[in-house]
Amino acid sequence: MSALLQARDLHKRFGGVRAVQGISLEVEADSVFALIGPNGAGKSTMMNLLSGTYQPDAGELVFGGVSLAGLPAYRRARLGIARTFQKIRLFRQLSLLDNVLAGFHLHHKVPAWQYLFPAAAFWRDWRTCREEAMALLDFVGLADRAHERAGALAYGQQRLLEIARALATRPRLFMLDEPAAGLNGGEVEFLLGRLREMGTRGITVVVVEHNMELVMNVADHVFVMDHGEYLFQGTPAEVQANPAVIAAYLGGEFA
Amino acid sequence: MMARTDQAFMMPPSRWVGYLVALALIVAAPLVLGTPYWRGILVVCAMNVLLALSLNLVLGYTGQLNLGQSAFFAIGAYVSVILVRSHGWNFWLAMVAASAAAGVAGLLLAAFAVRLRGHYLGIASLGFAVITYQVLVNWERVTEGVRGIYGIMPPPPIVLPGLPEISFGNSLALFWLVGGIAFVVYWMLDNLVRSPVGETLRALREDEVSAASLGINGARWKAFAFGLASTIAGLAGCFYPGFVGTLVPDAFNIVESFTMLAMVIVGGMGTMIGPVIGAVVLTFLPELLRSAGELRLMIYGIALTLVVLFMPGGILQLVQIVRTRLAPRADGGGSR
Repeated sequence: MSALLQARDLHKRFGGVRAVQGISLEVEADSVFALIGPNGAGKSTMMNLLSGTYQPDAGELVFGGVSLAGLPAYRRARLGIARTFQKIRLFRQLSLLDNVLAGFHLHHKVPAWQYLFPAAAFWRDWRTCREEAMALLDFVGLADRAHERAGALAYGQQRLLEIARALATRPRLFMLDEPAAGLNGGEVEFLLGRLREMGTRGITVVVVEHNMELVMNVADHVFVMDHGEYLFQGTPAEVQANPAVIAAYLGGEFA
Repeated sequence: MMARTDQAFMMPPSRWVGYLVALALIVAAPLVLGTPYWRGILVVCAMNVLLALSLNLVLGYTGQLNLGQSAFFAIGAYVSVILVRSHGWNFWLAMVAASAAAGVAGLLLAAFAVRLRGHYLGIASLGFAVITYQVLVNWERVTEGVRGIYGIMPPPPIVLPGLPEISFGNSLALFWLVGGIAFVVYWMLDNLVRSPVGETLRALREDEVSAASLGINGARWKAFAFGLASTIAGLAGCFYPGFVGTLVPDAFNIVESFTMLAMVIVGGMGTMIGPVIGAVVLTFLPELLRSAGELRLMIYGIALTLVVLFMPGGILQLVQIVRTRLAPRADGGGSR
């Protein structure tokens, strides 16, 4: 077993709503793990528990052998956990380039005094960060718009920019919350290719998704939730054939 | 694709030119405005530039509403004077200590900024300024309360070997001192906000949740911004008493905080040069309007309202609009 991320018996409730009830899961390193389920299944809550936006009421979380208990989001980012948001959260007033540059926060190797008096190390860092940022923008196909304001991008492009920004943290585990929402067919195809590419670069991907085509095409392992509880897990083919999953989806919202 | 990959350059020439022009203006201004009265205004102007720069770091770059900047100005002024008068400290040493004291007070306010957002932080910082003012009024044993402290000396003369003694008894030398410090502070802040630190602060301003997802510790960086900004405001405060000669709490009424806020907003917050322009305009405008007598405050108020209503980006926005009208294809690489 080489699980990069393990969750054991996670619970989270908001007032009387039990958003997540006793979920346990294991994400294998260098795989694409999909978390699916009808609306209100607790997928986004799971995502927020894993990334540290929320802390669980009960349960354990272990990432690469390190317990995540009580660690806030910024500390988890340091361990190599990156994420995107279901409701896009870009730095809207900043340029695309500046959005990605902010993602290098953890990786500057510059003596502090050089932030006031820039010298060789500062300019070396300045240059490599910009080159890497441009490479990441190129990776999501936005390099030619690097100096535009992020808020001016079309919806689908904003999702891609969020991916580039998160990748700048150089994650080991990358969690995407509904990356295909609001994307057109061509953009979904592009995203699929990018997710596969991340897999080959040693990034483990967790994706929460409604878009079945994307899940079936890219996931190695699919985990199904319904009403905050575990429903089923397996390969995409097994999930598609499972009667309980089909019932949950047909009973709820059509995917 | 990359615009500037050449490592040989350190700073684009346009910035060097800007710095040289600013230095020339600092040197020339008190020679052109030669009367003691106008030179005095220039000293006040230099202090206001420091205050506007400091507030802008918190408000414009880090996005934290701070209505209490006058408190740090006051702490710098009182701590430096008390250390010199009652404890016999050397002024320059007292200056360092007083700036540090203001910085520590800033960290205190930052502790609130971690929990409070937007208007709530505004109210808390305003409360902080009110409390500071009340302490100055009531802690008479140390601050002399409303009676005030009189006969405060300007900074002691600097003696450099081989040069005539530099005395700060006249506002010419004092302006060059405070103006010079404002120049250095501007230069350092300008470097800072262009560095990864600036990227971090702007990220925090735009969205704290996604900043955290990038590994940014919001509490730590807010504390950094508040601490640095209040240190600078405290530094400005060190020069005020020696210039006026007296020190009374009313000089640090909370209204002063709003004047500083107006300087930042009128100039253009979240830019480096904007608050400087705002500080200069709002220092000189009331003086130029003096001939308007009773109408002075009304004109001032109306002008301020118009700017906030129609130019949220401040005077700098107006300059940029005019520039883009004149030159249809300017580079769009702003960092607001």
